Amino acid sequence: MTTSLVPVRSGTSRSRSGGDPAPVRRGRPSGALISWLFLIPAILLAVYFKFIPMIEGIRLSLFKVQPFLGNEWVGLDNYADVLTDARFRDALGHTLILGVGQTVGALLVGALLALLLEGQTRSLWVLRSAVFLPVVTATAVSGEIWRLLYHPTPDGPLNSLLSLLGLGPSQFIAGTDTALWSVMAVGIWIGAPYNMVIVLAGLAGVDRALYESASVDGAGTLRRLWHITVPALRPAIAVILTLAAIRSLRTFTEVYVLTGGGPAGSTEVWMTRVISLGLEENNIGRASAASVLLLLLTLTATLVVRFATRKKEA
Amino acid sequence: MAPRTAIRGLLASVSAVLLLGSAACAGDDSAGDAGDTLEVWTRSAPEPAATYKDIFAAFTAKTGIAVDYQPVVEFDQQLQARASSKDLPDVFVADAANLGTYQAQGWLQPIEQASVTGGADVADTAWKSVTGLDGKTYGIPFSRQAFATFIRKDWREKVGLPVPKTWADLTALAKAFAEKDPDGNGKKDTYGMVVPGSAQNGYTVFWSASYLWQGGGDIVADAGGGKYRVEINSDTSVQAVTWIREQFCTPGVVQPGALTQTTAQTTHFTDGTAGIYFTGPYNFVPYDQKLTKDKYEVVPAPAGPAGGDVLANGENIYLGAGSKLTDAQKKLADFLITPEAQKLGMVSKTQAVVRLPVTKTLDAARVTGDQRWSVIQEAYTENGREFPAALQWVPVRNAAAEGLNKVLADCSGDVKAGLDATAQAVSAALQEQGVLA
Repeated sequence: MTTSLVPVRSGTSRSRSGGDPAPVRRGRPSGALISWLFLIPAILLAVYFKFIPMIEGIRLSLFKVQPFLGNEWVGLDNYADVLTDARFRDALGHTLILGVGQTVGALLVGALLALLLEGQTRSLWVLRSAVFLPVVTATAVSGEIWRLLYHPTPDGPLNSLLSLLGLGPSQFIAGTDTALWSVMAVGIWIGAPYNMVIVLAGLAGVDRALYESASVDGAGTLRRLWHITVPALRPAIAVILTLAAIRSLRTFTEVYVLTGGGPAGSTEVWMTRVISLGLEENNIGRASAASVLLLLLTLTATLVVRFATRKKEA
Repeated sequence: MAPRTAIRGLLASVSAVLLLGSAACAGDDSAGDAGDTLEVWTRSAPEPAATYKDIFAAFTAKTGIAVDYQPVVEFDQQLQARASSKDLPDVFVADAANLGTYQAQGWLQPIEQASVTGGADVADTAWKSVTGLDGKTYGIPFSRQAFATFIRKDWREKVGLPVPKTWADLTALAKAFAEKDPDGNGKKDTYGMVVPGSAQNGYTVFWSASYLWQGGGDIVADAGGGKYRVEINSDTSVQAVTWIREQFCTPGVVQPGALTQTTAQTTHFTDGTAGIYFTGPYNFVPYDQKLTKDKYEVVPAPAGPAGGDVLANGENIYLGAGSKLTDAQKKLADFLITPEAQKLGMVSKTQAVVRLPVTKTLDAARVTGDQRWSVIQEAYTENGREFPAALQWVPVRNAAAEGLNKVLADCSGDVKAGLDATAQAVSAALQEQGVLA
């Protein structure tokens, strides 16, 4: 993204200095050089904190890592171990269920919130800020709060509500059948308001006149929603799906805080497994291999989403 | 306009580069210490670190050897980083259970047991726990402790039951705490035992190992010659786990959600929602503050069918490999197990770092003036049992914890089948280290 700016910037500044009536001072660095100087801080930070660690991670994934004795080359063994490990397979299943569920859930809830809260009134602005709070709250904090809400006894906060409806009590995060869904609900709760903002931006771009002419033609609310709003939101949805493809597979914090992967491994996801391998069991090589595999999966998912949504846009 | 912004941008980028450079320099401060200063690390938060500081100050006063002391919280990650630069601290005090892991990475210097001054006063069981797979000694015991059963005394008296002596007593007391409203608030909101049962970091194993042993079972057993045999699916283990699962599956006996909770979440004992906690003596100080001393009692763990074995653990003194200060290293290690240093570690203004002294010449209850320490001392000497430290324990522990957590979560499942699957995972972990018998 940053590199694509370079030719544009240098192009404009060159054409500007070319057409500028003011005399060009000697010794002034050229436009391209200035652009690069602007970019240096960002590039340095990215290289130092992103690319070097990433390449190091890929390198370590090919070794049995024991820094003091000297790393031992094992080729693709770490990858083979990860791919044949039943617990990684389970974790992948949970990660995919969580990823898809949270993406779809957060998209639907986010769109619903946006439709409900669209408008210019001041009260709506306050309400939108309130709804947005889960996004800015630290996930660790939200996790602890949900832990309390999910208290698995009949007098737990959510179970009390369920009993008013004649349902429950549910075990929520304490039950092997319900834990994954409970974590998913928290993920949706955290993710939906963010999507709401993107959808709101999309809604702001819809030409009001279209709604008016549609209702003049006798279209009801649902038909207007389907034929005007949804097509107008396509770019927004594409953005949401792309972000989801990048983020959803590396889901970690909410799982770690809520269940730590339990009970009985029913919420173990790819990243919790990587953390326990790398930091608890000191198996940096295999943890790196698992991380590289996650990177490849994420890359694939992102490309698929970009390809699919581009076709739609066309 | 354009040149001015360009200059401003240039300045910004220059300052950013400078900032980055200075940040990079800040990282290698530690390399600058003097050649004859001992660098010592402990895995400590600020309160215990203050106690260690006093101990090392006494050492410097006595020997004239300067100590550069670093308390580290993210201990193993930081140690790993230092190992990568092949510059380990000269001495570090850390978990006894990590001995095998450190040794496998080549971080530890072997120690001649006979050359340790005061070594003869250290119990044989403690010496045995610092033996590596190759039979050499790789650490010096610094502090030990054993787990005991903490009970809400006021609750127990209210429900009119005696101090539990057997598993059956324990269950009965737990049930009474759940059903007889011991806090007298008219609501059924109390539980018997509080258990940190999450598989994360192996908590399931920390708690259940003692009960497994009391029932005659085990996770792995030493098969001799640096090899280990899997015991988690033996008949006695199956019986013990069946009993443990009964506790989880009888409503009220264990707090709900126990299997996803770590010690960070199991505050029920001091919150007044659970009355029995099987834990270590490090909780004396916080519980005295939160509950007051007279509200709870510390008793030996009620015995199971095979006895009263309880988990024991502690910290060792490790001598970092590659250190050039071998003489000073040894002097510090010798000093740390003297009665003087051990006492400094036990009676502290902030937080004790020595629980049970490793030297037989000291008595914890007498030094601290707290009789509860004699319960811990007795539990350690009579029934204390440590996890095997010679092998790389964490992968084995995690495999066992995840398997057990699964078995305990399924109240109607087949315990034997669940433990067979656990045994497979534990075998694989042993196999990977080449220590499967």
